[in-house]
Amino acid sequence: MRTVLLLPRNACVAVLLVYRKLISPIYGDVCRYYPSCSRYTLEAIQQWGVIRGVGLGAWRILRCNPWSAGGVDDIPERSHLYRITTRGFVAAEERN
Amino acid sequence: MDFFGMLMWPIKWVLEAVLVGFHWLFEWFGMDPASGLVWVLSIASLVLVVRTAMIPLTVKQIKSSRKALEVAPEVKKIQDKYKGKKDSLSREAMNREVMEVYKKAGTNPLASCLPLLVQMPVFLGLVQVLNTANQGVAGVGAMSEVLARQFRASTLFEAVPLHMSLEVGVSEWNWPVIITAVSMTIFMVGAQFYTQLQIMTKNQTPQMKESPMYKQQRMMLYIIPFFLLITAWIFPLATMFYWLVSNVYTLVQQLIIINRMPNPGSEAALAREAKMARKRQRMGLPAVEGEEKQDEEDTVIENLQRKQPRKKGPRSNR
Repeated sequence: MRTVLLLPRNACVAVLLVYRKLISPIYGDVCRYYPSCSRYTLEAIQQWGVIRGVGLGAWRILRCNPWSAGGVDDIPERSHLYRITTRGFVAAEERN
Repeated sequence: MDFFGMLMWPIKWVLEAVLVGFHWLFEWFGMDPASGLVWVLSIASLVLVVRTAMIPLTVKQIKSSRKALEVAPEVKKIQDKYKGKKDSLSREAMNREVMEVYKKAGTNPLASCLPLLVQMPVFLGLVQVLNTANQGVAGVGAMSEVLARQFRASTLFEAVPLHMSLEVGVSEWNWPVIITAVSMTIFMVGAQFYTQLQIMTKNQTPQMKESPMYKQQRMMLYIIPFFLLITAWIFPLATMFYWLVSNVYTLVQQLIIINRMPNPGSEAALAREAKMARKRQRMGLPAVEGEEKQDEEDTVIENLQRKQPRKKGPRSNR
């Protein structure tokens, strides 16, 4: 059951992983933040789910412009963290 | 109207206004409004407007990477600390520290993806505008049905219909279309390849070349042309003209940047310094850089490359 509930976010994770592997290197290292916008969104979707994750990611991309200072900017902390497989997909069990 | 269409509406409206505006201007100059040449020139002018509007972004970017140079010694210190540690944890820790330094300095050498994000909807909007016009249907604003029909019927030099793509050209075995599309693609790929090569070989610092991103970028240098070939197959000639002019614009802009304001510490910057020194020598002046700022920049670069003590004064005294 939980695996099914995690399907949407894992689908998004798959899309982002492909993007990070194939498209992102085309224009190289451009992000003014660390982690980069795509990794930020990836982590946000992994921990916060598709809707809030995409929202966080979109807000981050808007913040990342030539007028922003940049710097280290991690996703908001979450009390319970999901376990992430080595490939980046979200596993059903929780991690403490 | 769907959400995406609503987002694109204002972009399309502006694009049509600029396109039709230039079309009217060329007609006013006495050119035949129904000719393909006028439409191609209108599209080229549209590119010039769009790209020129983006110059502030580029300049802002260059200025901010210049400012980032002030903290270069600090960044170098961090990079030295993690020298030889190639595991992902150390890399991450290093990147975090470097980013903190940039943030504290209130500057950042990286461009952010905004310049790219701005260009994408513009290109998409133009594809949509031209596709609508190809169907002989009025657009959202200035592109009336009459103009749309005129655009659909227009041919370049009475031989190359602008609304055809390479795919259509091949299926109808229309030689002028095939030849134009193929030669444009080759030229486009060439311009793109040359621009990338110039940036990568001349305008990057030794530190940039050491990063793993650089290797990936090198690989992509050979992959992008393939992407371009595939897209050239689908898009009509008129859109390809937009792309072609845009690529040439990028090329010229990059060459100016590389020659006039190269990335400090890169090969192009050293070449420029040498050129300035030679020029001053020819003029009978000592090989000192005229501006105080240039001099300072020079010292910082020396510092980060060879760890020499900070010295002020002309190079010839060292």
